[in-house]
Formats: sequence, structure tokens, C-alpha cells
Amino acid sequence: MEDNSKVTLSKSILDMKFMKRTKERVLKEVDDAEGKAMYSNEITDEMKKAGNIVFVDTSLSNCKDLIDGRLSFGGMNPEVEKLMANDYAKRVEQIEKKKEKDVTDEEMAKGYSTVVNTISKKFQNKKNRKGFVKPSEEDQY
Amino acid sequence: MSTKIGDFAIPGDLFTEIKSHKGVTIVGPGLRRNEERPNSLFITQPGKLCFKAPNVYWIEGRRKRYIPKKGDLVVGIVTKKAGDTLRVDIGSAEFASLSLLAFEGATKKQKPDAQVGDLVYAKLLNAHKEMEPELVCIDSYSKAGRLGLLSNEGFLINLSPLQANRLLDVDNNPLLRTLGRKLVFEIAVGVNGKVWINAKKTKDVFTIIKSLELAEKHSDKDIMHSCRKIK
Repeated sequence: MEDNSKVTLSKSILDMKFMKRTKERVLKEVDDAEGKAMYSNEITDEMKKAGNIVFVDTSLSNCKDLIDGRLSFGGMNPEVEKLMANDYAKRVEQIEKKKEKDVTDEEMAKGYSTVVNTISKKFQNKKNRKGFVKPSEEDQY
Repeated sequence: MSTKIGDFAIPGDLFTEIKSHKGVTIVGPGLRRNEERPNSLFITQPGKLCFKAPNVYWIEGRRKRYIPKKGDLVVGIVTKKAGDTLRVDIGSAEFASLSLLAFEGATKKQKPDAQVGDLVYAKLLNAHKEMEPELVCIDSYSKAGRLGLLSNEGFLINLSPLQANRLLDVDNNPLLRTLGRKLVFEIAVGVNGKVWINAKKTKDVFTIIKSLELAEKHSDKDIMHSCRKIK
């Protein structure tokens, strides 16, 4: 059927019950051809090669998650501080929490490693603790 | 040759390995869509090419001149009043325009009292290279929030845009909140580098200005270290 696509079927044949699917296809082809003809003079070559990515502009604040620069501290401007409580205060709280945890982890690791060192020293005998061990006489021969 | 993420790029360089999320890529300052080659970006400012998952790209440089970008929160100086619009100096190549009707609750009859020389904290509504930047003092729900005129009592200083951005990066720079623990003040940091400071005591204002200027020459790590000492 694809080969003789130029052959058009008459309307009465397409109306027959078993030609239902073919009729849909033929109608779609006609529609597409019409659409192409309609917009062909509006679609320029530039549009065809413009690519498929949509670029959206944004400010640096969104890129780096910067905060709103209007801040008030110590009750200088209660209005601003009320608005700050919604975002700024929460964010700072989060950071402080993270930092606190980070420090304890670090200290924990440091403390743990010193404990390991002291205990391992305990199990070393005097001979091993020496930096240089004199080779025994048997090794020399 | 395409630039890679984290590389130092100079204007004219191309960037082609673009990741997009649902066909959309978000582009920050320093990058422009390349019309000649599909799916590539032109670099327009010197600096480091940065990426944030899943689809955000921008350039981070040490430029002194502010280039407006849509959505930026800036501090500006009213330089001229012409009918219903104000000319505002935001440190960019061209003055921005701010309509007197773009304030919360403003009507044709009742407009805010803005004089030449006043300071505003405003948001950039659009910033195309062919047009003058346009400011607003309301959000999309026509609420002012934190935007609007700043009081006459404060001081204005100019920092580099980079330093202003560093101050606003709360994750890495605890300077402002450390100062806030010690002093009583309010501040408006514009992304354009203009910073307005107001405090109860003038001495405090000078302390803050000095510390902001000093912090410019120190790394985030150093600042964090010295801030930790102040309890």
C-alpha cells in the first residue's frame, strides 16, 4: 500500500466499514500536508536549527541560593524581622545545626584516633617501640 | 573546543555540553544563547563556569561593573523624577526606570513620596541588553514584602558586586549574622554592590562598614574562622 500512496481512494470506498483505519490515516495525511503548507512560510531556517533546549534567564541569587539582602538585627526594624523569621531564621538555624554536628563528628574522629594510639602503645613492648632495631648476629651471616 | 565546568572562561568561548531538565536549562549571568549553533551557550563575561544540578549554569567573575539580570534585588538611588516614573541609578551602564505605581498600595491619585536622592530596594523586572532595566517594588501578588523606599537615616556604601554576593551567601559567610549578634542595625544588600546600612549609633555603622570592607580581602574560610571566635 505504501508504494502506491499516490493512488487516492475514493470517498465512497473510504466510507466502507472495513476501511475505517485507512480512512483515519488518509485524513491525517491530508491534515499534515495542509498544516505544512500553511506554516511553511512562517518557519524559517533559523527556527529549524535553533535546537531543542529552552534557555531561561535567572539572577545569580537563584543560582547560588542567596538570601534576600534586606535584613535587620537586634530589633532595629521589627517589620523586616517578622518577614525574616519565615526564611532567613530557618535557614540560619539549619546551617548552625549542620555545623554543630560537623564539629562533633570531627572531634569524635580525632578523639577516637588518639584513643586508638594510646591503646596500641600499651600493647607494644619496649623492643618494638624503638625506632631502629639492631640486626641480630644471625642475620649478618 | 568547549569549555568545561569549573574552568576559567573568557568572553567568546563556547559551551556545548549542556544538561537540561525536561528540555529547559536555566542560565544565570555571563552566558548567552548562541544563535549560530544549536544547543550551545556563548560566554559573555570572564570568570569561572559554574553548574548546579540539575540544569543551572552561570559565570562567577570578579567584575566591578554591575550587569543587570532579571530577578536581581538591588539598591538604587533615585536620580530623576519624570512624571510617573523614576530614574534609578543601580550602578549599571544605564539608569533603570521605576514606575511610581509599582509600589504597594499606590494608585494614580495616591503615589509614594519619593524624592531625588532617596534610596530604593527594588527587584529587576526585566533586563534585556537592548532595553533599559525596569524595577518594581512589589512582587507578583502586589505585596511589597521587603521591597520599597529605604529611610533617609542610613548610610550607603559601594562594594564590588562579588563582595555583595558573598555577604548574601549565608551557607559560607557568617559575617552578617555575627555582626547581628553584637550590634543593632538594619541593612539592605543589593546584588549590584550598593549596600545601605542603618543603626541606632553612628559608631556602629562605621564598625559595620569597616568590617565589610575588610572582609573583601579575606577568604570565606578565614571569615568563618574569625566569626567563630566572636560569641
